[in-house]
This record gives sequence, structure tokens and C-alpha cells, in this order.
Amino acid sequence: MKNRWKKYPSGSYYDELITPKGTPRQVARPAVKLLQQLQEEDLEARRAAAELAIREMGVSFTVYSEAGNIDRAWPFDLIPRVITAREWNKVRRGLEQRSRALNLFINDVYNKQKIFADGVVPAEIVLDSSNFKEQCIGASPRFGVWAHVCGSDLIRNSDGHFYVLEDNLRVPSGVSYMVENREITKRVLPEIFENYSILPVDDYPSQLYRTLAALSPRERKRPVIAVLTPGIYNSAYFEHAFLAQGMGAELVEGADLFVGEDDCVYMRTVDGPLRVDVIYRRIDEDFMDPEAFREDSILGVSGLMRAWHAGNVAIANAPGAGVADDKVVYAYVPEMIKYYLKEKPLIRSVPTYLCMRDSDREYVLANLEKLVVKPANESGGYGIMVGPHADAATHKKFARLIEKNPRNYIAQPTLALSTAPTFIGDLIKPRHLDLRPFILQSRDCWVTSGGLTRVAMVEGSLVVNSSQGGGSKDTWIVEGRL
Amino acid sequence: MTMLSRVAARVYWMGRYIERAENTARLVAAYNHLIMDIPQGSEPSWEILIKILDAEPVFDSFYKVRNEQNVLRLLIGEAEAICSIPHAINAARENVRTTRDVLPDEVWELVNELHIYSAEASEKSVGRRNRQVYLEQIIQRTQVVNGVLRSTLCRDHSYRFIKLGQLIERADMSTRIVDVGASDIFSREQLRQGIDHLLWGAVLRSLSALGAYRRFIGPQVEKDAAVEFVFLEPSFPRSVFFCLQEVREELDLMSNNRISQRVAERIRRMLRGFSTEQLGPQELHGFIDDLQVQINILHEAINETWFLTDPG
Repeated sequence: MKNRWKKYPSGSYYDELITPKGTPRQVARPAVKLLQQLQEEDLEARRAAAELAIREMGVSFTVYSEAGNIDRAWPFDLIPRVITAREWNKVRRGLEQRSRALNLFINDVYNKQKIFADGVVPAEIVLDSSNFKEQCIGASPRFGVWAHVCGSDLIRNSDGHFYVLEDNLRVPSGVSYMVENREITKRVLPEIFENYSILPVDDYPSQLYRTLAALSPRERKRPVIAVLTPGIYNSAYFEHAFLAQGMGAELVEGADLFVGEDDCVYMRTVDGPLRVDVIYRRIDEDFMDPEAFREDSILGVSGLMRAWHAGNVAIANAPGAGVADDKVVYAYVPEMIKYYLKEKPLIRSVPTYLCMRDSDREYVLANLEKLVVKPANESGGYGIMVGPHADAATHKKFARLIEKNPRNYIAQPTLALSTAPTFIGDLIKPRHLDLRPFILQSRDCWVTSGGLTRVAMVEGSLVVNSSQGGGSKDTWIVEGRL
Repeated sequence: MTMLSRVAARVYWMGRYIERAENTARLVAAYNHLIMDIPQGSEPSWEILIKILDAEPVFDSFYKVRNEQNVLRLLIGEAEAICSIPHAINAARENVRTTRDVLPDEVWELVNELHIYSAEASEKSVGRRNRQVYLEQIIQRTQVVNGVLRSTLCRDHSYRFIKLGQLIERADMSTRIVDVGASDIFSREQLRQGIDHLLWGAVLRSLSALGAYRRFIGPQVEKDAAVEFVFLEPSFPRSVFFCLQEVREELDLMSNNRISQRVAERIRRMLRGFSTEQLGPQELHGFIDDLQVQINILHEAINETWFLTDPG
């Protein structure tokens, strides 16, 4: 067993647990030591127990395929990722700051548009974006908050610093797996907790409840909160049910709701209609209300936007919040922080070159072999060029594309994602990972302790999505002198 | 706490499917037991199981030959067949999966474990050797689910609809078992005397009623007494009368219960007037038919009152 760890290659990337010298980082030492001491059979038994726990707890996600939808067991790696509380506190403050600025921005964009008038952000990049929803103009949700739940993807670069890669402001998912990963570790490696003071993660549903309850248009001790899911075939259905149960809220589908003549939203219950105060929607806004958005949506509730504008129901995240969830807008977040908060950004963004700016474009065209070029309005990794991996012909092709339509492209330096020891078959190997913490915002702001760590299981790969074979790790924020 | 109509329908069906899985397992186990006691040449046909479950068309779509192996393969090994135990378990699990937010965590885990067990064991359990273990496991595990529901679920709508589902399913299954059990035994009586007490013993056993019957009535199992026991014994939780009593108690606690309550009352009155005296096989069968129709009407009344709510 010990030999396995000795062969562990170190030094080529920042590793979360192992130093370039090959020894465990101080904060990871007790955990690594315990794992090293486990006998081969014992370790195998723990891994089997983890798999069984996942199946029995029914922790799953849905994969769409030609053969139908498959409910797959959640992929989990036994070796936790360990981060000190000292380091995390800095990240947390950076995320809180970011969330405040993003919300001020969204509220500004749909109301006074001062940031355009003051020339900080060019109006057209926002107003021409498909993420800008005209249907939301003039709305003023409570506390001026639009993105109540934000999942920001962080990566740790080879310099050891965390960077925000993107902010997911529409329907970010994954938080239930963060909670379940801890539960699994507790079940199968209970002794590992003896030497640590690890911040708990299972209070997320109650924090979410607090965040949502503060939005209720009616003053009530227990507002009626509903989690709106597209239904059982959605890949995140497990999470929707998990959160509804954790909050003691109703899990509803579009057909369970209707908007009455009084422009209030009601649930159909066995005791008759019941008015809903807050909807935590886990459905894309385009499908939310056939009256306001896509007419062909069968998942939504007709009149929901009417009820929202009338202030009779709160919707989280507010429709339209995705306007700040855009690669071009991303480049302006540091400026937003300075503009709205008069503060310096506390967490790094990846430097982003906007090809629409002349000086940026010149730099990008001169350095294509070093940069990652991304289309501004695509998601899911389509149309991306990774400079160092692309050939000269591709460089040329992208140079032409950029010159033809500079507004459509952005470029970023290639980042070296950190790694952590991960079980691959019987061996322990370094694998790249990211981290998605969740930021809640309504009356107050709250950030998860850690978040969901996703692992790219293929050697050298940076694809961490579970739908594409990515794994996950329990993520610890550890207090004390370590 | 109120409950979404859609969720109410799903927990009701979860109750029915859990009960159906258990009852089907009891039924098969009882016949499995019986078959070993009967002298060769007089064994009741395995087909009777298919008849009880109204599964003849399903059977024919899967197999041609009606023998033990095929009957058991259908009921234990075919997750796709709507009359099978694994099908009932899958359906129960799907219903729990979509109502986890109103049920205790343990219920989901237990039903999920039941599903995992059944998916892994069912195909291997068609043969006589493993069959009994599988059936016992299904019965035990469904009982554990019931136990957790009883001891952890709030007596609110979720409990009420699960219970209604279970009671209606159980009443339905009890009438089926008596009906087909009876007709098979009648057709056999002309052939051979002296084994009908074994068959009626099996009927009672499949309803877990044999021990209770002995204590209440006596060691000798007789047709009339057995039928009356299964239909009417007010203290036996699997008797039709008991189920109806409980249904009425649950309905009492609900709003808009008028129509369902009326149907339940009608069934209870039917049972009150029932006696096996002077009852030929045809009359018994006719009575059971009427009873089943009424139970189905009760189900429809519940469905229309609480599950198919449309906005006004």
C-alpha cells in the first residue's frame, strides 16, 4: 500500500494533498497517513462499502442516452480533498463580494442602467445577449437580489491560487452531492474524522430555506415554498427532491401549479388550492411560463411572470439573472466590483481578452498558440480552441474567425488545473479537479464550507462533468493549527 | 400540512404496490408450501396463481406452456410483466423516488434496498431451491418498510393515502385468493376427497391467516369457516371487513369524503349480510364478483376526489 503512494508523481501540477517533494501537505497528513495504514483488503472493503452506500442511499444522476434515460450511481472517490479554513475564508470573502457585485449589476441592467451610462460596461454586449430578457425589465425583486443561488466554478492554478472560472447564475446544480459525499465518507471512513475538525456541510438545505423564506411576499411564520422541477427525467431530479425534503418544501412540477385570476400562484392539493409564496425554480426560464417565454413549454406555469411582476410570488433565481452569466460579461466582473462596491476584487478571475477591444485583439492574434479561444455565446465546450494543443492550420482558422467577428470571441491564458490523488483501478494517480462552492444571497449572504469537487477521471483530461465520466470527492474545510 | 394531488396519487400507489409485492410473495410461498404436501397426481395446477392475479393475457404474451417453471418465471423473474413481484417493487420504488420529499429518509433507502435485492436475486430465484428464500426476503423487507412507515411517518395525508392504498390492495387480493381458491377446490372435490383441508389451509396461509384461524375457530380447516374468517373476522388485519373498517376510519379524517365514504359503507353492509350458509359455488363466486366491483368503485371515488383535481 505504501508503495502505491511512493510512486505517486508529484510536481508537474499543484497537487491538493501532496507537495512537490512527494510528502503529504501538512493539512492532509493525518488523512493520508490513515489511508496509507489501511490494509489492502480493508481499503477494498471501504471502497465497496462506499459503492454500496451510494446505491442504497440512492444517490444518482440521470444520463440521457439513445437507449433511454439511465439512472446512474454517483461516482465518488474515497480520498478527500482537504483545504485549510484560513485559506477558505479568503475565498469565501471573495465569493461574497462577487455575488454582491453581480446582483447589483443585474438589478442595474434591468432598471436604471447606470453602468452603461457611466461607460464601465458597453451597453450592447449586454442588451444584445440572448441572456438578457426583456420580459424582466423594470422588475425589482426584494433586496435587489436576482441570483439567490450562485454556483461558481473555481480552479486552482499552478501558482496555488484559486481562480473563478465562471459563475452559474441560472439553475446551478451539484449541491446535494456535496452533502451526500460527506455522508458517504462518514459512513465508510469514520475514523478519519477523529484527527480533524471539519466544518459541516449538511446545513445547506436550512440555509437555503432561510434565504428563500426571506423573499416571501406575505409576512408569515412559515411561508409556502415550492421547488419547481422539470420532473423525474431531469438529470438533477435527485437534487430537486433532496432539497425539497431538506427544506420541508413541496416538490412541484408545472402541472401542480396555476395562476389564479388574482395573479397569485396556487398549488393543487388534496384540500383544494393553496397559495405559494416562494418558488425555487430548477427549470430554465425559457420554459418557465409559456405566456411570457416559449409558448411550446409544457413544463411551465402560464402567468407565472405576471404573478412575479405583481409581487405576489418570489422566484429564485429570478428570471433574467442569467444576464450576468455570460463569458463577455465575466470579463467585466472585476470592474463591476470596483464600480459598485468601491472595493478591490478579493478573488481572482481568469484574465480575459475581449477580441472586440483593439488592443486585446492584437494580443490574442499574436499569441494564439498560448491561449484558449472561446466563442462568447456558446456553452458546454463547443467551438473552443486550446492554443497549445492546436496546429498551425487551426490557429489560422481562428485568426480569420476572430477578425471576421471579433465580438464573438474571447481568449484566456491556458490554466493548469490542480490535481489530487485519486483511485484509478487499484492504483492512486493524480487527476485534475475543480471546485464548485454555492453562494446564497437574499437578506444576508452565505457561502458553503467548501463545495463540490469534481474530478476528471481520465489521465490529463480537464473534463469533470459527471455526465462524461467525471468523478467527485468529499471536500473538507479544516479548522485548527494545521 | 396539505399535500399535492399528484403526490397523494403517488404515495397511494406506492402503498398499493408495496402491498401487492408482499401479497404476491405470500401467495406464491403458500402454494410452494402446499405443493409439497399433496399426494402426487392431485397437485393443484400452478396456473391457479395466474388466475388469481388476472394475469392470463400477460402470461400468454410471454410463454406458451403453462407449467410450474413458466408460472414462476413470470411472477418472480420477469420485471417487465405487470403481475410480477419485481414489477410491483419497481413501481413502488418509482413512486417513492418521486415523493421522497414527503416520506422519511429511511423509507426511500429501504425501498431502494428492496429494489436492489429483488433486481439481483429475482432471476436466480425461479427454481425451487432459491425460491423460498427470495419470497421470505420480499415479505420481510416489505414488512420492514411498513414498520418504518408506522413508526416514523406523521399521521398526515402521506400516511393516510399510503394506508388507503394498502388497505384497498389487501382487500382486493383477499377476495381474489378466496375466489379462485374456492373455484379450484370445488372443481377438484368431485375427483378426490380428503385433501381440501390442505388446500384451504394453503388459502389461509397465503393470507397469513392460518394461525389466527386455528386460535379463533379451531385446528380443523373447513371451507365455510375459512371463507367467513377471511371475509368477516373484525379483529384479523387481513380480513376484508377489517380493511373496510380501517378505510372508513381514514376517510373520516378527510375533507370531501362524502362519495368515498358512501361506497365504503355500501361494501361494509354487503359484508354484514354475508353468510356461507346454503351458499353454492356459483353464489359465492357471484358475491365475490360484486365485492370486487365495489372495491374498484371505491378506488375510483378516491381517484376522482383527491387525485384528479383540476383548477376551478
